[in-house]
Amino acid sequence: MHTDDDWGSATPLDGVSRRVAVVGVGEADHSKASGRSAPQIACQAIERALADAGLEPGDVDGLMTSGGLGDQLDAAGFHAHFGTRHALWTSGQGGGMAWAATAPHGAARALAAGQARVVVNVFSVAWATQRSSMTGGPGEFHARERFKAQLELPFGWFPQPVYFATIARRHMHEFGTTSEQLGAIAVACRRHANLHPGAVLHDKPLSLEDYLSRPMLVDPLRMEDCCLISDGGAAYVMTAPERARDLRQPSVVVAGVGEGRSATGLYWSQQPAFTSTPQVFAAPAAFRMAGLEPADVDVLTLYDPFTIVALMQIEDMGFCGKGEGGPFVEGARLHFDGGGLPLNTHGGLLSHAYVLGIAHVVELVRQLRGEAGARQVPGARVGVYGGYTGQHASTLILVRDS
Amino acid sequence: MSEVPLPDTEWPLTRPFFAAAARGELAIPRCAGCRAWVWYPREECPRCGGSELPWTRVSGRGTLFSWAVVRRALWKPFADKVPYATGLVALEEDAAVRLVTTLVDCEPEELRVDMPVRAVFRPLAFRGARRQVVVPMFAPVPPALPGR
Repeated sequence: MHTDDDWGSATPLDGVSRRVAVVGVGEADHSKASGRSAPQIACQAIERALADAGLEPGDVDGLMTSGGLGDQLDAAGFHAHFGTRHALWTSGQGGGMAWAATAPHGAARALAAGQARVVVNVFSVAWATQRSSMTGGPGEFHARERFKAQLELPFGWFPQPVYFATIARRHMHEFGTTSEQLGAIAVACRRHANLHPGAVLHDKPLSLEDYLSRPMLVDPLRMEDCCLISDGGAAYVMTAPERARDLRQPSVVVAGVGEGRSATGLYWSQQPAFTSTPQVFAAPAAFRMAGLEPADVDVLTLYDPFTIVALMQIEDMGFCGKGEGGPFVEGARLHFDGGGLPLNTHGGLLSHAYVLGIAHVVELVRQLRGEAGARQVPGARVGVYGGYTGQHASTLILVRDS
Repeated sequence: MSEVPLPDTEWPLTRPFFAAAARGELAIPRCAGCRAWVWYPREECPRCGGSELPWTRVSGRGTLFSWAVVRRALWKPFADKVPYATGLVALEEDAAVRLVTTLVDCEPEELRVDMPVRAVFRPLAFRGARRQVVVPMFAPVPPALPGR
């Protein structure tokens, strides 16, 4: 196990605690291949987020999207859909993955600078639809990267399930992590999806026995350790906390944001701390900004492309010691009613939809408002999202404002 | 993404790697200034900033850091190769240097974390590709040859 902390760093971020609130959330329809385009999906999510907030398209003067993942909604698309033509502050530092956590930081700065008063962060994908043509999708970015094309792809070390199966095996070797423990994460997410009417796998139960009886996809990972491929998306609306109190929803404010980076970038093979994530750097910074600790967290959503990624982040964010994640997740401890640390109460990327983390933030807001219905964590006041891309990770801490 | 994933053996940053493999040798860039092994290849040493990084022959011995066994086809070029084992080898000269590789000459069930392995040089062959490129793959060191 690599214990030095020289393999990455935290991004210095100025404090934004309680300077931005999330006042509206909306999810597009999540589905398997649907024939929709990503911008169409984004507009549906924004419509629903604005309806939730009690705001009109004309109230939105800031739009944050993903600058790195193609085919995202832009200002022209926003105006074309909503029939508006006012000035929009835009930022490519939004969207899903790690940016679903750090977008509120960018929004807080834009609010403070007077660049915008109401900012929407949106992310959508149509990867299930695109899969049939083998365009887009999660593998393409890596396949095009030059060193990977030269030194990884020729050896069959591709795509992502192969990376994370390799990481999982090393984690098992270093810490004694078991398939049953990875399975506990998959089962918790599936049970939550079964309680979420909008989840893609809502109707498909999964027991630990079911999980263990499934064949290996990329040993030591099964299909059930891997995320879905979906069409879908979500959006959330942000404004200043003072204004948020005048709007219709119970106010949820940002308490902390953190971001960390791995010095070896997107080359997982070379990361010295092979079984860690840059949450080691991101989470402590976010908790410091918030003045909170991991023990204060009522509900956690983690970017979970693979069960092992959720497990590593639980350790790296300080919910348990490094290497103790396996025992920590056993049994029902991650279930919304398990008395432990409720994880991905909407089902996550594993069982809700592969919309790259944006729905994880939506779920936290619903939990903190007490709107999560059959999967509600009683009395949830502090919610945390852990975002991840591999080369960087981020932490967003949300609290019920009262 | 459906094209054959043969490396470009002329790309300057990795050309010596494939040229060495064609001779049956494993070579890694090493900083002439601070003697650090530099992997992946770069134009400057990340430790001392040196720009002289001669490709240096290494023993080809290492240990199996970790691996995955691909049991179902995830990617068309490897569809006819499943099941296969692919993973990372830590070099004897510097365990921080990890080569991505294919594990050969063994059943996946025989693999163990940190077991000794050695480079063997094999052509990458893909259906429908006329060109072949010899690369270092890794095989377990036979237990009959301890101390290699």
